Amino acid sequence: MEEDDQQKATDLVHELVLRLLSQNPKTPNTHPDPNSPTFLKTLRYAHRILRSRLTPSVSPDSAAIAESLTRRLATQGKSSDALSFADLYTKFSSKTGPGSVNNKWSLLHLLKIVSEDRQSAANGLDSSLLLLPNLNLDDAVLGRGKKKDWSNNGGVLLVSKDPENLRDVAFREFVSLVKEESEVTEEVLVRDVLYACQGIDGKFVKFNSEIDGYAVVDYVKVPRATKTMVRMLSELGWLFRKVKCFISESMDRFPGEDVGTVGQAFCAALQDELSDYYKLLAVLEAQAMNPIPLVSESVSESNYLSLRRLLVWFAEPMVKMRLMAVLVDKCKVLRGGAMAGAIHLHAQHGDPLVHGFMMSLLRCVCSPLFEMVRSWVLEGELEDTFGEFFVVGQPVKVDLLWREGYKLHPGMLPSFISPSLAQRILRTGKSINFLRVCCDDHGWADAASEAAAASGTTTRRGGLGYGETDALEHLVTEAAKRIDKHLLDVLYKRYKFKEHCLAIKRYLLLGQGDFVQYLMDIVGPKLSEPANNISSFELAGFLEAAIRASNAQYDDRDMLDRLRVKMMPHGSGDRGWDVFSLEYEPRVPLDTVFTESVLSKYLRVFNFLWKLKRVEHALIGIWKTMKPNCITSNSFVKLQSSVKMQLLSALRRCQVLWNEMNHFVTNFQYYIMFEVLEVSWCNFSKEMEAAKDLDDLLAAHEKYLNSIVGKSLLGEQSQTISKSLFVLFELILRFRSHADRLYEGIYELQIRTKESGRERNKTQESSSWISEGRKAITQRAGEFLQSMSQDMDSIAKEYTTSLDAFLSLLPLQQSVDLKFLFFRLDFTEFYSRLHSKGKES
Amino acid sequence: MDKEAAETARESLELVFRMSNILDTGLDRHTLSVLIALCDLGINPEALAAVVKELRQESGTSLRS
Repeated sequence: MEEDDQQKATDLVHELVLRLLSQNPKTPNTHPDPNSPTFLKTLRYAHRILRSRLTPSVSPDSAAIAESLTRRLATQGKSSDALSFADLYTKFSSKTGPGSVNNKWSLLHLLKIVSEDRQSAANGLDSSLLLLPNLNLDDAVLGRGKKKDWSNNGGVLLVSKDPENLRDVAFREFVSLVKEESEVTEEVLVRDVLYACQGIDGKFVKFNSEIDGYAVVDYVKVPRATKTMVRMLSELGWLFRKVKCFISESMDRFPGEDVGTVGQAFCAALQDELSDYYKLLAVLEAQAMNPIPLVSESVSESNYLSLRRLLVWFAEPMVKMRLMAVLVDKCKVLRGGAMAGAIHLHAQHGDPLVHGFMMSLLRCVCSPLFEMVRSWVLEGELEDTFGEFFVVGQPVKVDLLWREGYKLHPGMLPSFISPSLAQRILRTGKSINFLRVCCDDHGWADAASEAAAASGTTTRRGGLGYGETDALEHLVTEAAKRIDKHLLDVLYKRYKFKEHCLAIKRYLLLGQGDFVQYLMDIVGPKLSEPANNISSFELAGFLEAAIRASNAQYDDRDMLDRLRVKMMPHGSGDRGWDVFSLEYEPRVPLDTVFTESVLSKYLRVFNFLWKLKRVEHALIGIWKTMKPNCITSNSFVKLQSSVKMQLLSALRRCQVLWNEMNHFVTNFQYYIMFEVLEVSWCNFSKEMEAAKDLDDLLAAHEKYLNSIVGKSLLGEQSQTISKSLFVLFELILRFRSHADRLYEGIYELQIRTKESGRERNKTQESSSWISEGRKAITQRAGEFLQSMSQDMDSIAKEYTTSLDAFLSLLPLQQSVDLKFLFFRLDFTEFYSRLHSKGKES
Repeated sequence: MDKEAAETARESLELVFRMSNILDTGLDRHTLSVLIALCDLGINPEALAAVVKELRQESGTSLRS
């Protein structure tokens, strides 16, 4: 039986091949030779196909196949054919028993496939030429495909391993279910979704303010799954509305303060993105015109759009639109640099899509900002009409331009520019402005273009962009380097900063010894008068005289002209000493360094030094009179021994006290001049050489001045010690006047005794009253000396206690240099011993 | 094969032929009868369809060449 069937099948195949080959439409009458090699080859081929043990991919259900065929005919518009086919099929299936076709489904299936093959061939789409079978894309809508295209290529058949036809049935049921459930077709919904995505209400998909989103209207019956999908898709529309709304609002408000160029750039970038989005929508809308094929239909070659396909299409725009909506939310209240910073924070994203998107967005958004940076750094222009830049300019007087003219606005500093970089940017632009306004210099333009060339960017607009922070940093560094160097050059060479500093040191800090000495000599007597008797013009004359008399006359005239006498405001009891001071007039641009506060510090230092100098001068002046010499000592011989002893002891006390004071003042002055002024100056010079920009220079100068003030005991912390120092100075000055009086008295005494001696020689007889006169002189001298030595004693006592207080405060000071001062003052440990002795007793 | 059976077979073939015409398969009666016989022998219809398609093409190409 088996062999019989086999034989029969072979014969039938032979017959079939013969029939098929002879059926060729082009040569209907030629009968192929059954023994020709072509025929044999074809036969072998047919056998090979049949032997390939294919199993049918559908379940053996003839009714289902017939149904699908009928439906296809119906959808193709051949309803009459469909009816007659159904009729034929019922008849055919009723034929049972011997003689009828046993394997009905198999035959129907065969017919169906052959007919489909022919149809697709007639449609011009020769599917056999395609290497791969068309995947039925309507599967995306209604489930996985039930059928395979029987395309083949060179005899290779595609095999489906689905032996059952159950799925087919299931799909058919599903389709009818879908049709039953939904009143609107998917095409309509797709179109509506597309409308919704442009922010327009569709026929069935409308904006629902309750749920704040687009949804299918309630009165249309659609499956829940479809509803959900529509909502998911139309989220895009919601987001789009938000973004669009922001853009139009911002554009409407544009000339106003609160949008600004960065905001505008942001809107433009969003608009660009939206135009891409519009393009996509246009393409999709064109596709939406194509009908969606049903499950059973063959694939039409044109693309069509279903909700699911839309979901795929929208995946990327959705991400972008969501980002944009988030940014819009974030940026609503932000402006300028703050806005760029906020967007930048969102750019730190791992997803390359998001990252790339944000980068392109930021490049647009930041372009105004970078433009501002560029023109600020290279041209010093603050092109910031809307207050968006992180550098803010303030209208100030010229001398405050550097310190207060421009400030960083931390709120507008985007986070991708580090604070130090911002500081450098600020300083560079500030330097340019300083050069332009204060220094009246134009050489910076060359420096700027040189910097731009060195950093590789051009000076034209739009050379920088977001993401090129390195380039920006490079540009800023180059520009800063050159412009700061140029600025310092101008300050040093043209405005002679160093020379001025030196002049200040020489005149205000009393570095020019001969000048100070001379000035003290000629001004001194005048200053002892009450302050209101002194005219500053007179003093200016003295100053001029002092300059002419000293080496200072060889100094630059420009600097000498700046040196002025200043009378401080004075009360009724003030003496000239209290109000006299020198000042140095800094002119633009040096007043940036020598500001009011700096000058007032200099003034304090000058007053202190002047006082010190005066004390020293006083001590030296007194030394002139009290220097022990033969004349004075000879004259004492004639005095009575009691008075002589008194006189000598007073003189001796005076000498001792003077020595003590001189020791103190000399050492203190040494300390001020060499340990404080010179050392500070030396450090300052070094720092001045090393300074890279004006800020460095300012800082160095500040440090210099502060170190002088601090070490000269003028600082805040050393108020008590400076008080005791001034007490010492007062005592020394008091000592001076006492000593003066003492010596005056002594001279008077001398003269009297001489006179009396001469008279005695002339008239021997009248010695009685002379001796009486001598007695009176001696008595008066005795009284005078008594009182003087008492005063001297009290001064010495006060001085000792004050010095003790001063010395005990000295080690408490922070400065190291004061330790050396203490060491010098107490070199022999005289004072410390005295101190400990005083404690013990 | 009795007469009734032959009648049924003929009618069946006729029905199949008409259906085939509606579906525009382009197969004639003889070929259809061969195919019916092959189907009855239990040969996979999909393979058969493939043969039909292939050979139609084959004949076209082979004769053209």
